[in-house]
Amino acid sequence: MKNNLMKKLMPYTFIFPALLLLILFSIIPIIISLVISFTNLDITGLGNWGAVKFIGLSNFINLFHDSLFLQAVGNTLFYVVIGVPAVIALSLAIAIMINFGQNRFFKLMRLVFYTPSITNTVAVAVVWTFMYNPSTGLINNILNQIGLGSVGWLTDQNVAKIALIILAVWKAIGLNMLIFLAALQGIPKDFYEAAELDGASWWQQTIHITIPSLKFSIFFVSVTTLIGWFQFFDEPFVMTKGGPLGSTNSVALFVYQNGFQQSNFGYAASASFVMFAAIILATLIQFKLQNKQQNG
Amino acid sequence: MSNSLLKSQQNSRFIVSVILAVFGFIMILPFLWMFLSSFKTNAEIVQNTRSFFPKQWTLENYRNLFHSGFTLYLRNTLIITFFSFVGMLFNAMAGYGFAKFKFKGRGVLFIMVLATMMIPGQVTMIPVYLILNQMHLTNTLTGIILPGLVGAFSIFLFRQFISNISDSILEAARLDGASEWYMFWHIILPISKPVLAVQGILTFIGGWNAFLWPLILANDEKYYTLSVGLQLLQGQHTTDYGIQMAGSSFMVIPIIIIFVIFQKYILQGFNIQGDK
Amino acid sequence: MNIKKIAIGVAIVAIAGGGFVALNQAANNDSGSSSKTVSFWYGGDGDTDIKPIIKDFTKQTGIKVKIQSVPWSQYNDKLLTAAASKSGPDLMVMGTTSVPNFVSSNSLMDISDVIKKDKNLQSNKFFKGNVETTKVNGKYYGVPWYTETRVLYYRKDLLQKVGYNEPPKNWDELYDAANKLSQRSGKDTYGFSIDQSEPTFGFMMARQNGATLLNKNGQTEFNQTAMVETMSYLQKFVKNGVSPKEDLKLSIGESFGNKGLLPMFVSGPWMVKSIEQDSGLKDSQWGVAQLPAGKYNNMSNTGGGDLAVFKYTSHKTEAIKLMKFLSKRENQIKYYKNSNSLPARTDAWNDKSLQNTKVQVIRKQLNSSQPMPLIKQWDQIGQNYVKAWEKISVENADPQKTMNTFNDQTNKSLDTSK
Repeated sequence: MKNNLMKKLMPYTFIFPALLLLILFSIIPIIISLVISFTNLDITGLGNWGAVKFIGLSNFINLFHDSLFLQAVGNTLFYVVIGVPAVIALSLAIAIMINFGQNRFFKLMRLVFYTPSITNTVAVAVVWTFMYNPSTGLINNILNQIGLGSVGWLTDQNVAKIALIILAVWKAIGLNMLIFLAALQGIPKDFYEAAELDGASWWQQTIHITIPSLKFSIFFVSVTTLIGWFQFFDEPFVMTKGGPLGSTNSVALFVYQNGFQQSNFGYAASASFVMFAAIILATLIQFKLQNKQQNG
Repeated sequence: MSNSLLKSQQNSRFIVSVILAVFGFIMILPFLWMFLSSFKTNAEIVQNTRSFFPKQWTLENYRNLFHSGFTLYLRNTLIITFFSFVGMLFNAMAGYGFAKFKFKGRGVLFIMVLATMMIPGQVTMIPVYLILNQMHLTNTLTGIILPGLVGAFSIFLFRQFISNISDSILEAARLDGASEWYMFWHIILPISKPVLAVQGILTFIGGWNAFLWPLILANDEKYYTLSVGLQLLQGQHTTDYGIQMAGSSFMVIPIIIIFVIFQKYILQGFNIQGDK
Repeated sequence: MNIKKIAIGVAIVAIAGGGFVALNQAANNDSGSSSKTVSFWYGGDGDTDIKPIIKDFTKQTGIKVKIQSVPWSQYNDKLLTAAASKSGPDLMVMGTTSVPNFVSSNSLMDISDVIKKDKNLQSNKFFKGNVETTKVNGKYYGVPWYTETRVLYYRKDLLQKVGYNEPPKNWDELYDAANKLSQRSGKDTYGFSIDQSEPTFGFMMARQNGATLLNKNGQTEFNQTAMVETMSYLQKFVKNGVSPKEDLKLSIGESFGNKGLLPMFVSGPWMVKSIEQDSGLKDSQWGVAQLPAGKYNNMSNTGGGDLAVFKYTSHKTEAIKLMKFLSKRENQIKYYKNSNSLPARTDAWNDKSLQNTKVQVIRKQLNSSQPMPLIKQWDQIGQNYVKAWEKISVENADPQKTMNTFNDQTNKSLDTSK
């Protein structure tokens, strides 16, 4: 009996420390923020809780009449739809290429592709601003050399979003490449040996062995990348502040502007919970799809 | 292997190398700019951001970096980094728990873990501060360490990799009478070397760059970290690029060392899932 | 991996963890027992600029001061946590624009009676614009410490080439000079920089044209002629290519130095040092001037920092002592010498160290300088202004229509937050 109980409790002992910390420092604060999203909390209320009023769904109703918020939602969806597949495809491709060899060059490349993750944001901003500069920038100079016209990378409302996506993908490749590299080591060598005996080409091996064997890590990367891109913040914050004309503003930046610059904490919290609802829905769909794939 | 096959492999390796080198150059460009600019004066950076190499190399920026608080900040940073590795262990345990046990509430609890990633940190910052204040942990190292100790990203990554380990190995060990803890230490962790290496790198970077909580929770500069110290050197209205680049270049050296050490283990996979 | 090693590691961690808890407690007790320590929050690098002055204070009074410098980028976050938890420093530096926010969050102590009793802290000692930033609803919540105001920076050599031996004195001259400068040959040459993301610039200009930003009923009047005319005036710069449409993201060495792509701009006193050190220009090539006057005046925008006592302090007397000490003339001068922050006390400006011509231009401008309206919603109004201005400049929208919408939107949000 006792043994049985121990067995039942065993899993909880493994997850307990992490769970306790997460509940204390993430879940409870999230619940508090959820409560705040139904109030008019601003800087006055922060110092005097008596002045805080519950205002029901007003914040949420106002959000959907706020053209700036709706614009940010549209932009964020654009970021997610383009950015997430790009990150997965490129980091997977680079991981496979780097896994090609073991000599010094390939070792160095692992570090090289990881450097964007460890480069100071200001340095990143300076160099990319220079590359994107409409008249003297590197990219437009190259475009002009090959006979194409100049592009207003950060100033054209339609192009600016793409420019930020390129920058964010560039930055995200390193970490995901590492994860894929680690996952690639788990694929048994005899799979490939068997395939080689059957005369399968490198490309066929990649499609039929490598990628299917990576489904656990691909799933991980797609879930975390999706969560991350829904909260797209750094790039518009550093490069464009959401402009020109709000065309690069994201929901996370909207939350920052309202919460921290303007101290409308209630309104900012409600915007972040709209985003939260979207993310959790997307994540649940991903889990459902994965389960189906595994069972089917 | 036949000769022609070997040759075609060599050819494709060459092509892959070229592609990687070209892309790699774009990847590392800002990093190089940061590093080289740390040897320029601020005036040179500001007058000509385009030139890559310093006209006149200077160590002035680095000299300004090491001011009075440096050793104290370094000590705090090392302590926080050390404890974040304890947090990594908790994450690994939780990842194992979610991957290899079936228990009541597993699905819901795991979604709850993931949910902690879905709200921007700025929204929960003040509530977290108030909780720590209630626990009388403001202005303590414990308070600074606790909020960042575990993370959903890391738990999820461990879960994914550990669930990839074949159950038959664990079953065999269980039949031999091994306890769950024994299996965690002696089977799961050794097999997970590649992912441990990735996590180790991430954990180190996280601890080493600790900025927000040391700053928000400290009511005293004695708990400041290197990142906070670095930020203190910036003015209210203007940016001193020289010193910022020197600071970042300095901060990145230990990260590169850790990366080079740990990346060896990324490539030490065990072939353990052969029975699928 | 060696399991024993890991186990030993974990044991060490556990012991160390216990040790730290003990350490923390010890530290807490320590700070509780010494009652004569004032804690002082300060933006930027406190050690170098202010420590010498604080040392003098401790020597004279026996009161210890614990300075905590907080990076500027996180200073507001730090103040928010103090407001929410009602625990913070005893004395702190407040950016002038944050004062109304933290008065409304109940974080600052009303020190009107302290000021009334002390000659050294009274309003006539400081610049009028700075005193205004410490006053909310007729009560004083701080003492001015250092001051900032906007002035015109211009390239002497380039202006001379287009026939201006003197910097522009009024709006017409400003446009004319800028227009001529923008017609120099070369790629990307402009005449005057209008900072697209600066929320106070347009308001400042509108005041020069006679606009009152907030009327007596606390409502905004952005749709009135004075403001709309200003927007049309500024729109002309962008429409005719005299000012760039977007932020060129150039460093000061590229924009103002070298060929002078942006040879005139309006900014605060911190740019003096920045240009001197980093632009590569010779002293004779550039100058600082008072703002060109609009129809009514050349009113600039006051900023800077105030000293304020935290409302929940348990060391009120000591905090006020420190505040008085820092407000003394000689300490204001000392602080200027260390940090380059301009003294808010008018009589400090007689000192030799402030007799530089460029600094004296700023001194004159301070006579005609006023802060933005002191209401907690002003940040938000400023952000919305930036968006309205973007429509006018980038999309060439009609100023009157845009300002109508902006004004309605502002007054609506002012009403609901009442």
